[in-house]
Amino acid sequence: MAEFYVAGVDAGSTYTKSAVLDDGGNLVATAVLMTGVKITEAARKAYDEVLRKAGIKENEVKFLVGTGYGRYNITFGNIQVTEISCHAKGAHYLFPNTRTVLDMGGQDTKAIRINERGEVVDFCMNDKCAAGTGRFIEGAAKVLGLSLKEVGELSLKGKKAVKISSTCAVFAETETMEQLAWGNSIEDVLYGVHTSMAVRSIGLLRRVGIEPEVTFTGGVSQNVGMVKCLEEQLKMKINVSPLTMYCGAIGAALYGLEKVKATPLLQAR
Amino acid sequence: MMSQQATERRPTAEEAGLDRAKQLQGELVKSYYKWLWDVRNNGGKIAYCFVMANPAELLRVFDIAPVYPEITSLQISYRGGAPQLINLSEEFGYSTDCCGYVKMGVATVLNKGQTAIGNIPTPDMAMLTYSGCQIYIHWWEQYQYLTKTPVFTIDIPYVRDYDGHVAKHDIKYVAAQLEEIIPALERFTGKRFDEEKLREYVRLSGEAWELWKKCLHMGKLKPSPIDAYFEAIYYMSAITLIRGTKECVDFYRFLLQELQERYDKGIGPTSEEKFRLIFEGVPNYPFFKRFWNLFRQWNARCVAATYPKVAGMVDVDAFTMNPEKPLESIAEYMIHAYCNWNMMMRTNLIKKYVNEYGADGVVIHSIKSCRSFSMGHGDIREYLIKELDVPALHIESDHVDPRYYAEAQLKNRVDAFFESLSVRKGM
Repeated sequence: MAEFYVAGVDAGSTYTKSAVLDDGGNLVATAVLMTGVKITEAARKAYDEVLRKAGIKENEVKFLVGTGYGRYNITFGNIQVTEISCHAKGAHYLFPNTRTVLDMGGQDTKAIRINERGEVVDFCMNDKCAAGTGRFIEGAAKVLGLSLKEVGELSLKGKKAVKISSTCAVFAETETMEQLAWGNSIEDVLYGVHTSMAVRSIGLLRRVGIEPEVTFTGGVSQNVGMVKCLEEQLKMKINVSPLTMYCGAIGAALYGLEKVKATPLLQAR
Repeated sequence: MMSQQATERRPTAEEAGLDRAKQLQGELVKSYYKWLWDVRNNGGKIAYCFVMANPAELLRVFDIAPVYPEITSLQISYRGGAPQLINLSEEFGYSTDCCGYVKMGVATVLNKGQTAIGNIPTPDMAMLTYSGCQIYIHWWEQYQYLTKTPVFTIDIPYVRDYDGHVAKHDIKYVAAQLEEIIPALERFTGKRFDEEKLREYVRLSGEAWELWKKCLHMGKLKPSPIDAYFEAIYYMSAITLIRGTKECVDFYRFLLQELQERYDKGIGPTSEEKFRLIFEGVPNYPFFKRFWNLFRQWNARCVAATYPKVAGMVDVDAFTMNPEKPLESIAEYMIHAYCNWNMMMRTNLIKKYVNEYGADGVVIHSIKSCRSFSMGHGDIREYLIKELDVPALHIESDHVDPRYYAEAQLKNRVDAFFESLSVRKGM
């Protein structure tokens, strides 16, 4: 039985994720739900849900760290840390040999280079543009009337990647339709969509330097098609697991654990 | 929780009443605009000039008052008046991607000088001291087209192989053009050239530059009493707007005293100095204070910056104002515009700042408006990180167009940068 717990809530642009760790740094539970427009409410719900899953009460949590775009809306937390630092820590926690992190979220993509302690050495992000982010796939899925899970799986069946040249997520929707009209199969078009995203994000990775191992985090890391295209383009295996989408929340909780350990006052509380 | 360990917070310069130079600067700007109208009403001429490479001292001899459309654009943006003018320009036919300076500057004339900061006199002439960018030439041509005013052109060569001194033939080349322009200005204004006056303006200008340099060098002190970027943006306006006057000299003397007083009392622009930064690039003016706050709330002080040197590369002694050689002095100053420096020189300057000012990292702010200024920023970042192991952050918005400012995204990058700096400093 743990003496205390720490938690992290990652309020992203599309999903809010949460995680609970025990005093030994063991992952106890995770939860996820749609963020929607009420960020504070979503964060609260994600927190309640992860507490329920962990089977613990709120007063057993000694430190709560908020992260993600909505981190300043997590008013019930102790501190806020950017998701860049959190993803770095989370990826290092899941895969200790990680030196490069690619975090692909709903609205942005980040390339992060980390050291052997999981600290950020350098990072780069996509600019005010949704190309190369989860929104890009969402756009294609919408046009084709498919779910996010389906687009990833279908893309695996593609034989040749149709070139999607548009650098704009909005124009790419039109281009997707155009490619279908030209007689390309849905599978090939989706293979193209994923390849186009992989190429873009590798450009971002190159800016910070690609050092193995590479760990793929964020919501899009659960997309099998994306994993395949990244590995194809990078010509190497990348780390991914069902937990990589929780890296931000796990990293946040790890920051909480560090904070508690560095503050004797908190341990005594 | 943390407050139990926190020590008493020191007052900032503003709270301690050591921020009077900014108020004085505000008053100087007001009287400058009043002076412009006095000149126009008394038969003098208004010349539209660039901040970089302008011969303000020479123009003053002919009672020509300089208006700087770059500065008016920034001040209008700072006061929230940019969208109206940018829309006007885009309706006129300029593309969204065109430089914000150009659009604001042209729209100000289209709007007959009516702006958020008051009425700005339209030009009688335009002084084209082209340096740094192709669009600037067409911008001035647009004024010529719209207002039928003459354009006086001086060609400024780029600084190439710089060994600490501008090549003598380059100075000669520009000084000869200045000499040639004198009779043209005499004809245009109906006033005789007075060399004694020019010497006096150059002397006053030199005195102000010297004091401004000392103020900028205060950033080397630890802790720094000045934010050599966010505060310098206010302070630098005097050297451009009223260079060659006694008021300008007095302003920098006052500023130097105030900075010294701040240092003696252990007061600075932020309550403490946790991070020392070097800044490259033009700031965001439409949201200037919020932009500053992204850094200020981390108790970061910019100890040196490149942008405030667009008014003149004074801190590295790139030029000297010698009243005995007034035209050569102005020529040397004009050649040493920051945008006239090549990429390697700019990069080496940043490297020099990092070392001499004991900085923790470099922030590079690119602007959508200016591809020529922002070009190479990615390379500077890479060079700093990979070759010199200096932490660097590259962010982007715009200097005048509020549509390009996304605070959540900027904040994310800035916060993450400080988080990693904190780890690096073991804080």
